[in-house]
Amino acid sequence: MGLDQQVLAALPELGRGLLMTLLLTVLASLVSVVMGQLGCFLQLRRAWIWRTFGRLYVSLMRGTPAIVQLFVVFFTLPKLGLGGQPLLAAVLAIGLNSGAYVAEILRVNRRLVTHGQLEAARTLGLNRLLTWWYVINPQVLRASLPMLVNEFTILLKTTPLASVVALTELTFAGQIVIARTYEATQVLLLVAAGYLLIALPLTTLARRLEAKRRPA
Amino acid sequence: MDWQAIIDALPSLGEGMAATLQLCAMAAICSLLWGALMAAALMRASRFWQRLLRVYSNITLALPLLVVIYLLYFVLPEYDITLSSPVVGVLALTLYYAPYIAQVIRAAIEALPKGQWEACRVLGLSRREQLRDVVLPQTLPQMLSPLVGLMIGLIKDSALLSIVSVQEFMYAAKQAISETYAPLEIYLTVALCYWLLNSLLDWLARHFEFRMTRYRRGMQHE
Repeated sequence: MGLDQQVLAALPELGRGLLMTLLLTVLASLVSVVMGQLGCFLQLRRAWIWRTFGRLYVSLMRGTPAIVQLFVVFFTLPKLGLGGQPLLAAVLAIGLNSGAYVAEILRVNRRLVTHGQLEAARTLGLNRLLTWWYVINPQVLRASLPMLVNEFTILLKTTPLASVVALTELTFAGQIVIARTYEATQVLLLVAAGYLLIALPLTTLARRLEAKRRPA
Repeated sequence: MDWQAIIDALPSLGEGMAATLQLCAMAAICSLLWGALMAAALMRASRFWQRLLRVYSNITLALPLLVVIYLLYFVLPEYDITLSSPVVGVLALTLYYAPYIAQVIRAAIEALPKGQWEACRVLGLSRREQLRDVVLPQTLPQMLSPLVGLMIGLIKDSALLSIVSVQEFMYAAKQAISETYAPLEIYLTVALCYWLLNSLLDWLARHFEFRMTRYRRGMQHE
């Protein structure tokens, strides 16, 4: 099965879509890690109000479809004077969504840091921020790494949602090409191959990291 | 907040919710059956089939659901298979969730100590008795919470089907928005409904898990 001439001509367009998907994945992952840290921090606070905020954030993000979240963000941004920016909306929505899962991953691995370590840090005169940076983070992040890579693969799989707010990432680029060439099968298989190209190394990496963490 | 818009949209949203529930129930049943079948095949079938199923699992693990939906929606008609869009929706969700379900079922069954199967053989239990009296009572509570987690994922992902105009909850919401011009209000209502539904499922799962594992807590008191 050879590629149609028109589809061949559209390859650069699909390539640009792939790059946009990558950019979106990276930016949303950054938002997701920041939100995850925040969500984890809030859930582990002693004051009930912060804890409730943290839990509500996680529960809402995990209990509603990502596409609904994207629309909510997309229609809220104009009210803050940031309308008409699909990339910003997609990065925020997908990052916020994934952040809830990251918060749970971090919270589970937070158990590795024993109470004694925190007391030791305090005795050595480290304040909260320094304790978080030098004592908690290195251990928790290292232990979470395989799960985080996994989570970023899932994040990658939510990025096609951005096509509904007309961000020209891989799926939307594919749709534009299909509308012009009527070659749905070929274009969609190329789009699928694009996702596999990013996702398969990630899943392999996650599996390797997982295996490394479980010594025989 | 435009409360009037929400009130006006409620009847059509209700219909949409009913459609979503129906759709998800169908997809849940189909994916559980297909997933159970896959789990059985992964444990017992010949190596060729196992390898084939593993390739299929790996591909679904890496592909976005939206791409799977588009593939089914656009590619099948090119081979003269025309299915209505709800059927394509159920098919997509089934194909997408079955590998995850198969993994959960397989992990739970393989976690049973080998001695139990041998004991069943020694006691001369039939296959049916084995499953009903020994395997399922121990594996069901283990599978319950991950399976319900997957079902919640399925419900959330069913919202994507509105993109290929399956008339479910999200689709009803879009319809309502085109009439009321209040997107934020309607989408917040939609989010609330999904959240309540999924929270209810989550709560039910925890409740039943607690009840199904009563026998374990009973033993601790001895």
